[in-house]
Amino acid sequence: MTSVAELGYADLSGRLAAGCLLVQTGPVRSLLKSRLSSVAEGLWRLYADHRVIEPEDGADFFCEVREPLGLRRFYRPQALFYADRKNIFKPLPRNQAFPMLEWGLNWCIGTQVKHFLLFHAACLEKNGRALIMPAPPESGKSTLCAALACSGWRLLSDEATLVDLASSEVRVLGLSRPVSLKNASIDVIQAIAPDAFLSERCHDTLKGSVAHMRPPRDSVVRANEPATPAWVVFPRYQPQAPAVLTERSEGETFMGLARNSFNYAALGARAFHRTVDIVEQAQGYDFRYSRLEEAIPIFEELAAGSHPSSV
Amino acid sequence: MKNWQPDPTQALCDGLAQPASLLERSGREWTAMLAVGRENLLLGALWHRAMEAGVAERLPEWAARHLWGAALTAETNAAALRWELEQLDSGLIRNLTPPLVLKGGAYVLAGLPNAAGRIAADIDLLFRRDEVERAEAVLFYEGWFGTHHSAYDQRYYRQWMHELPPLQHVKRGTTLDLHHNILPATFAVAVDPERLLSAARPIGGMDRLQLPAPRHLVLHAIVHLFSETDWDRGLRDLYDIHTLIEHYEAQHGVVFWEELLNEAEALQVAWLMEPAIRCCQHRFGTLVPESVERRLHDHAASLPARWVSRRMFHHALNGRVSATPWVDALARALVFLRGHWLKMPPLLLARHLFYKAFLAPREDDSGEDRAAANPQQHG
Repeated sequence: MTSVAELGYADLSGRLAAGCLLVQTGPVRSLLKSRLSSVAEGLWRLYADHRVIEPEDGADFFCEVREPLGLRRFYRPQALFYADRKNIFKPLPRNQAFPMLEWGLNWCIGTQVKHFLLFHAACLEKNGRALIMPAPPESGKSTLCAALACSGWRLLSDEATLVDLASSEVRVLGLSRPVSLKNASIDVIQAIAPDAFLSERCHDTLKGSVAHMRPPRDSVVRANEPATPAWVVFPRYQPQAPAVLTERSEGETFMGLARNSFNYAALGARAFHRTVDIVEQAQGYDFRYSRLEEAIPIFEELAAGSHPSSV
Repeated sequence: MKNWQPDPTQALCDGLAQPASLLERSGREWTAMLAVGRENLLLGALWHRAMEAGVAERLPEWAARHLWGAALTAETNAAALRWELEQLDSGLIRNLTPPLVLKGGAYVLAGLPNAAGRIAADIDLLFRRDEVERAEAVLFYEGWFGTHHSAYDQRYYRQWMHELPPLQHVKRGTTLDLHHNILPATFAVAVDPERLLSAARPIGGMDRLQLPAPRHLVLHAIVHLFSETDWDRGLRDLYDIHTLIEHYEAQHGVVFWEELLNEAEALQVAWLMEPAIRCCQHRFGTLVPESVERRLHDHAASLPARWVSRRMFHHALNGRVSATPWVDALARALVFLRGHWLKMPPLLLARHLFYKAFLAPREDDSGEDRAAANPQQHG
């Protein structure tokens, strides 16, 4: 059991350059290759606690971030992302190479994983019970997720919630990968959790500035521990609004989950039944908020089992 | 990681033909095999092969889950495909001569072994030439709309090709191809579609839709792949050919081979069948009876051309994760040129390529790629 930190930076960047760096994130193992130093540094800082396994153990995905061939690299350098040697994205400026790897890994999971029912949702756990927060972009899902991960909840995932299809019990798994923060959220999280490690900001992406938060060590170490769905909360950030948690009907919860799934249609009836299982055992809520200081205590109450109140 | 040894594409083919070989694969080999299998949509088929051979339980769990997941999505895909075909079967085309279901739809409806774990992207129907446009017209009333609206594309399809511009269902997004032949009107040889239509068989549970005779199913798979310009999923199509032949030979014995060759000669496509069978032997170890070997040999190209084309097909079938990416890329380029060369006479080809290179409006990537093209959408 070697972690990225134990490997040392020199070994990490050597393996990465040779395409032999195999990082385990929950049930997903990614074989990574890049000669770009910003990618090595990003992995070094944000994946410090993740487990490194040997290429002989095998990988789900083979991902590479590299510069395009050609002269352009000298005057306006770019980065490309390859999954299984296929070029997936339009090129990005080279300074976005590390976020590009993160986005690329998200793409691999979102489009290639069919053995889990996948929701575009953050997922956290307390006392074995999972909080699933499905939401489209710009709803403040990641900010809320980062804040909860810094205040005693175990982070399962910021981006994709994996629901086991093979087991008879309904359980979710996480990846414990870095949490992606954008623009104002970066300062908000830094203020609320001064101990959290955030990567340097990457400016001028299509989404503005992005930074990633290193997942708490405990979350990474326990990444393979499944949790049982207990709450499905649909967060919506609304400037100036007081934090309000309201119950959502089963039907609405179901529709909200199905709408935010990556592979619901591809998995058909199986996806339907598993989503029903979740809705049957987890209570659905809508959550409107603007301030994390108000939001966090509400989730504490939820976890404690007391009647959810609004502030 | 430079050394993908042994050749991952071959490892995948061995796994499909002899599932017991999967038990010997290392983690590193699985990494590459999964990549090639995903690219060719063969992971679901691999799952079914491993199940039948009783080795699925002994595969490394992390890798087996991908095969299982692919089989699950194929199951959903097959159910949706069957449902779409039932809608068509009971719909307005009942006033026309019953069409043939080709390719993926046919494999599913006939319950053929290669349908297990297979994902079909679209539905293909073959109508009589004089009825295909009527079919297009009546299907409009069931929600099937035309695509490819530019004047050039319209003429390209309607005048030169063997199918109309693809239809898409307005609500469900399903793609439907209406064919009137199995090869373009401008192809190097002319195929008589009447032979397929007159040998058609009924499908249990369907009123109107029909299946091609076994020999035609196989020959269609062959001419489709070996006249194709784009071999992105070539290995999957080759697996279809291998599996169909294996299945029908087990049912009918060597007689099936003879029927197949006779029909290939009658349709003037035996010269496409020869390299197809060689590829199957090479990749999947397809067993070819001695007498068939001799007859096939008569249809082989002359020696230097045969050598080049064998190398070309071999490398063009390789996955992207391969030990020889540059040779593979060259082979794909050659297959692309060959496909075009066969599809159109030289003057027409020059005109078509000139149009596509300089005059055609720039197209965006296809649907799936367009969603993926922007990395920031994934985080």
